[in-house]
Amino acid sequence: MDSRLKDLAGKLDAGLIARREFLRNAAVITGGTAAGLQALKGMAGAQSATKLRVWLFKSFVTAGNDVLEKQVQNWAKDRKVTVEIDWATFGDREPKFVAAIEAGNPPDIAEMNINGPMRYKAALKDVSKVAGDIATPRGGMLPFAEKSMKVDGKFYGVPRYSMTTVFYIRKDIMEAKGLKPPTTYDPGVVEFAKKTQDVAKEIYGFGQTLNRSDDGDGFMQSILWNYGGGTWDKDGKPALVTTFHDQNLKALQFAVDTITKHKIQPPGVMGWTDVSNNEAFMAGKLVTTNNGASLYYAMVAKKHELAPKTLLVLTPGGPSGSFVGSSCYNWGIFQKSKYAELGEDMIRYMEDEEHFAEYMKVSVGQAGPVYKKRTEDPYWKSDPNFNAIMQNIIRSVPAGSPGPITPAAVEVNAQHILTDMAGRVVTAGVSPEAALKEAHARVEEIYKVRRS
Amino acid sequence: MNKGFAARLQLVGSYSFLMTLLVIVVFPFYWMTVTSFKGEEQMRSLVSMFWPSPVVTDNYRHLLGKTEFVAWFGNSVFVSVSSTLLATAIGTIGAYALARLKFLGRAFMSSAVLITYLVPPAILFIPLYAQIRTLGLADSLGGLIVAYPSFTIPFVTWLLMGYFESIPVELEEAAMIDGATRFGAFRRVILPLAAPGVLAAGLYAFTQSWNEFLYALVFITNVKLRTLPVGLSTFITGDVYGWGYLMAGAVLTTLPVIAAYVYLQKYMVEGLTAGSVKG
Amino acid sequence: MSISTAELRAKSGLGPKRHGPLVGLARMLGPDYRLGFAFILPTVILVLALVAYPFCYAIYLSMTRKYVGVPPVWVGFDNYVKLTFDGFFQRAVINSFIFTFGSVGVKLVLGMVMALVLTSGVRFRSFWTGVLLIPWVAPTVVSALNFLWIFDYSLGVLNYMLVKVFHILPQGVGWLSEPGTAMASVIGVNIWRGFPFFGISFLAGLRAIPAEMYEAAAVDGAGPLLRFRHVTLPGIRNIVIIVMLLSTIWTFNDFQIVYILTRGGPGGATQVLPVFTYEIAFGAQRLGEAIAVALYMLPAMAAVIIVLARYMRKSRTK
Repeated sequence: MDSRLKDLAGKLDAGLIARREFLRNAAVITGGTAAGLQALKGMAGAQSATKLRVWLFKSFVTAGNDVLEKQVQNWAKDRKVTVEIDWATFGDREPKFVAAIEAGNPPDIAEMNINGPMRYKAALKDVSKVAGDIATPRGGMLPFAEKSMKVDGKFYGVPRYSMTTVFYIRKDIMEAKGLKPPTTYDPGVVEFAKKTQDVAKEIYGFGQTLNRSDDGDGFMQSILWNYGGGTWDKDGKPALVTTFHDQNLKALQFAVDTITKHKIQPPGVMGWTDVSNNEAFMAGKLVTTNNGASLYYAMVAKKHELAPKTLLVLTPGGPSGSFVGSSCYNWGIFQKSKYAELGEDMIRYMEDEEHFAEYMKVSVGQAGPVYKKRTEDPYWKSDPNFNAIMQNIIRSVPAGSPGPITPAAVEVNAQHILTDMAGRVVTAGVSPEAALKEAHARVEEIYKVRRS
Repeated sequence: MNKGFAARLQLVGSYSFLMTLLVIVVFPFYWMTVTSFKGEEQMRSLVSMFWPSPVVTDNYRHLLGKTEFVAWFGNSVFVSVSSTLLATAIGTIGAYALARLKFLGRAFMSSAVLITYLVPPAILFIPLYAQIRTLGLADSLGGLIVAYPSFTIPFVTWLLMGYFESIPVELEEAAMIDGATRFGAFRRVILPLAAPGVLAAGLYAFTQSWNEFLYALVFITNVKLRTLPVGLSTFITGDVYGWGYLMAGAVLTTLPVIAAYVYLQKYMVEGLTAGSVKG
Repeated sequence: MSISTAELRAKSGLGPKRHGPLVGLARMLGPDYRLGFAFILPTVILVLALVAYPFCYAIYLSMTRKYVGVPPVWVGFDNYVKLTFDGFFQRAVINSFIFTFGSVGVKLVLGMVMALVLTSGVRFRSFWTGVLLIPWVAPTVVSALNFLWIFDYSLGVLNYMLVKVFHILPQGVGWLSEPGTAMASVIGVNIWRGFPFFGISFLAGLRAIPAEMYEAAAVDGAGPLLRFRHVTLPGIRNIVIIVMLLSTIWTFNDFQIVYILTRGGPGGATQVLPVFTYEIAFGAQRLGEAIAVALYMLPAMAAVIIVLARYMRKSRTK
């Protein structure tokens, strides 16, 4: 069966082309023969007893997970195939993928996070075509999405949504003190925190851990960028102590100061894991914090009393601007799959605007746009807090910036180099300069290994 | 007089020590249980820390009704019991061979029994998974049942080796003079005597299988075939922990092993007695 | 039964007469070779297939550069050499030693005291042994998460008790956020989980020492301390060695407790080898090096085991 015909059929199903156009193109492809049209009819009703293995990502958005599963099953029913769905969570994602790939037993399709295409490209199929097909009618991909899904000029992941961090503020406390949301960390957040905290009541102005965790790693990455620094330079070479030495030093000093000098953070913050700031905020102990939209979802879904009192704003910045790291959940198809075309079909189905909208709407701001047209969806205006989410997403930057996203950049994050660096200063009394040098040496090593 | 006083002091000291240990041991489980009966709001606040107020059964109802907890429980039972039977059977006869029988390689093998523990499962599981897959057992409970003995048999064997060695040789020889084969002597004389040791070994194997996480996570992808530890971990979704049903699930996961041990623990001690003393 | 001894022996599958000259195959393979091989075969097959083979493959991998989904590239001992000079690896080794020996040391003492107390005439012994065994049988994942919740700075019950209930401290301690207390906390959880194994094993060992030996020593005028040194300790020497050996290996390889409580932080203060291995394997996705990390300590530990095993076999056949 001609794959071009299948593509057309897919496009028709995805509502991307009109029926007339489909017939016209199909006729052209088949040379306008009756036999070709017959083949088309036969194809539409094709039965198959095939079984696909699909790995989905189980996020904290339980409602979203349910919609995801339902849609996959519906698609399967439509196409008369069966699917076996398995879920990967934050904690077990990596061992699962690695073991399966190494054993030669990966799934057919998987929903991956931003690191997926980079890490598993050896086992993934080139999905540039599907990605292009989906992106074009949606106004193209947002820059960060394109950057992170493309490896060596090819797409190994089809972007789906973004889930990035955002700055949380206790609106009620802020208004009680007659303040406005800070736009810079220094002096903005510092002053804001000092004015709003009430240590006697165990309410602290700012809760941002520098411990090894997604929260900590994300913040450290951002703060370096905010001061004009970064781990890598624009050519992708290690830059902690070289190109951006001064900027990084200032950034590191600030991060550490929030705990040691300004004292706007709760004690024990260096022991926090990702869940700690969520719980502290929900317990009313923090005035501000950085977190993914998961916290907002948790509060809204559980009708938490602080939900209406929470304001989400753009992440504050530094002298060089305000940056957050990108996130981009995406679909990948594994080379070993025998059902690549079915996989592509499923992707088109799941990304169909109607289906995606259903998912997005139950996700309470989790499923941020990765395509230009999706940013115009009125949903993002329905809750003033959503605007901050979306703006943060639009200006988010992938790891490795200002250079390209590389395996080395991903690995530096995975090994918590930046948070270790901060930790050494705060808890081990190492000077920022020395800690910076230590971290740089480590980054250099990773860079060397990953190049060969 | 002095001796009596010293003895009483020692007794007081002993009981205080045990009570302290008891509190330290039991408190986390008490805490886990109490948390499992707390509602969302109460957990966020520090109100009535040590007792649920109100007592809430939502967590359990959600666990049993809306998740596949019951399926996971069944899977864990099936895998643990099967792999325990397998490991105990294989380990018992292996231990007997190493303890009593004379054959080539015996000395080497009895020293090597515990060396398998040196290999960290965190490394082993990737090549092991490939192996299991080659055997066609990937994504099936059978894969776990076959893989679990790999880390329970060494301990079972070592334990029972010592146990068998503590049984006087004369008993077997007497049986054989009476016309039994070696195997017959083993089955009818030695095995019944070794029952406490076998039970202890079986309990150990059961516990290890019940609590195992890594292999179960990797070898099985079908949601309905999950075992308890892996199932519980799926309640941790990023930075939002469902503490309520996590603790409820934890309570229900821990109860069976605790029950088994409390009921059978004297066999455990007895089994370890003869088994381990000989080294 | 009127059957000759020779026929009896022939029937019993023992092979030729034990105390006579062994013939042919039996001489080479041992008199019980048939039953012996049959009995040991399942173990051997299982261990070979599921431990030895993957282990050998792992050794091979440790000498390659291996990324996910990509065939391995041979590099010889390169990984090991690099690790030796790697500051982070060295730190992980030191942390592992602190964690392991700190934990095993306390477990040893705790277990010994527990065993001595339980043989000293307290009542309800089965109750105590039953209850005190519980931490060892509970799933590690569950216990670790439980303690994570207990150690939490602001919402955890430990600080709550220290500050609000007993007023021992003015404010809570960052159990998992200060490097000193973080290491102590993870060691503490490991001790909590592991001491019952020591206690129960030592208890078993103590009960196996015949009472007459104590009486004899007492008659000779030995006080409790001397009796402990000369009767108790030698009597349980083997079990102590074995338990310490097993526990050292298990504690050294313990991953879940540290990972769940601190991920190796703060600032890498609790970064032990298993967590380090995990990060390199699944974070950095450099499988070859990860396996090299895990296998680095293996030769030393294997040597210790072999030496101790020989030592104990000798004393056993005395």
